Amino acid sequence: MARSYLFIPGNVPRMLTNADVFEADALIIDWEDAIHANEKDEARELTIAYLESHRPENTRVYVRINSDEELIAKDSEALKGKDVDGIVLPKASRATLSLYEKLFSDKEPFPVIALVETPAAFFELGEIAAHERVHALFLGGEDFRTAIGAERTENAEELLFARNMVVLAAKANDITAIDTPFTSLKEAGLEEDCRRGKALGFDAKSAIHPDQIASINRIFSPAKKEIREAKRILKRHEEEGSMRFSLDGKMVDRPIIERAKRLLEKARLYGMTDSEDDR
Amino acid sequence: MKKEIITGSLESSDCLIRVSPAEKLEIELETVVREGFYEHIKNLLEETAKAEGAKRVRITCKDQGALDYTIKARLQVALRKFKEEGHG
Repeated sequence: MARSYLFIPGNVPRMLTNADVFEADALIIDWEDAIHANEKDEARELTIAYLESHRPENTRVYVRINSDEELIAKDSEALKGKDVDGIVLPKASRATLSLYEKLFSDKEPFPVIALVETPAAFFELGEIAAHERVHALFLGGEDFRTAIGAERTENAEELLFARNMVVLAAKANDITAIDTPFTSLKEAGLEEDCRRGKALGFDAKSAIHPDQIASINRIFSPAKKEIREAKRILKRHEEEGSMRFSLDGKMVDRPIIERAKRLLEKARLYGMTDSEDDR
Repeated sequence: MKKEIITGSLESSDCLIRVSPAEKLEIELETVVREGFYEHIKNLLEETAKAEGAKRVRITCKDQGALDYTIKARLQVALRKFKEEGHG
């Protein structure tokens, strides 16, 4: 479980070397869009050398591979036996997942974060999300906007349906939903965008700049008030021995109890359950 | 056939490597961290070149404070591309 996924270009040593100080829960080392066609070999070699000598210990590391068959073949060869938590598969579809299976079949079958960024992917989303290797869906908002010819609006209304679909497909398959990055560097807009994504059900958000990580981690962490409330719900649940009871005049039943459990699990993961305030 | 292969950049924490034909293995190094690290980087370049089987190449490295993994990776790619161009 991660709150923030930071994109790092695979060919920039300054970014790779400092990656562990950015405090992202996960890194996505990019071999696709951020890397010029002439620099793909350099990016692979540099990334592998980085992973072998400087891989951060407490951060998940993913690699966004390429979508072209010839390049995926080289990517899969380079990643063979390497210490990564998974790959990000661009332009995810039935076809790209088959290609992934074919090219990674005799190598390590890494978990896949499926990058949903084409209109066609939405007609195959259930199948993509249910694929045994896919452990997260990730909305690629910029490419999606371009593909459908949408204009970028202040509150990202053009992405609302896509966001809902990604969350629904992810939750129906019990996998993680990762929201599209906020591509402006305005802090206020970022926070609002994070809150919007969280309210829709996203578990995490991607970032294109290290300065975005603190806000994403804070907003995608459970709030102290939420932790206190979840603890009260579970305490009463234990006392009552029932899945249906009243608390502060409101009815609590199974979905609310389950949500409280999930929230506390997340809070424990981020070391947020021990303070006196939260008891 | 390209006469020279260039990898890396002059950005901070990176290095620019140029590889071209020569009569023997020649290494030229400029580094912003010359104090105490010059010999270390030169040895790293030499060891990497030998490990890649490079014998008749001139390697120039302009180092901008790159860590070992970066220097090694940049040189390895340059030497492999150099070989792909048909150089020895």
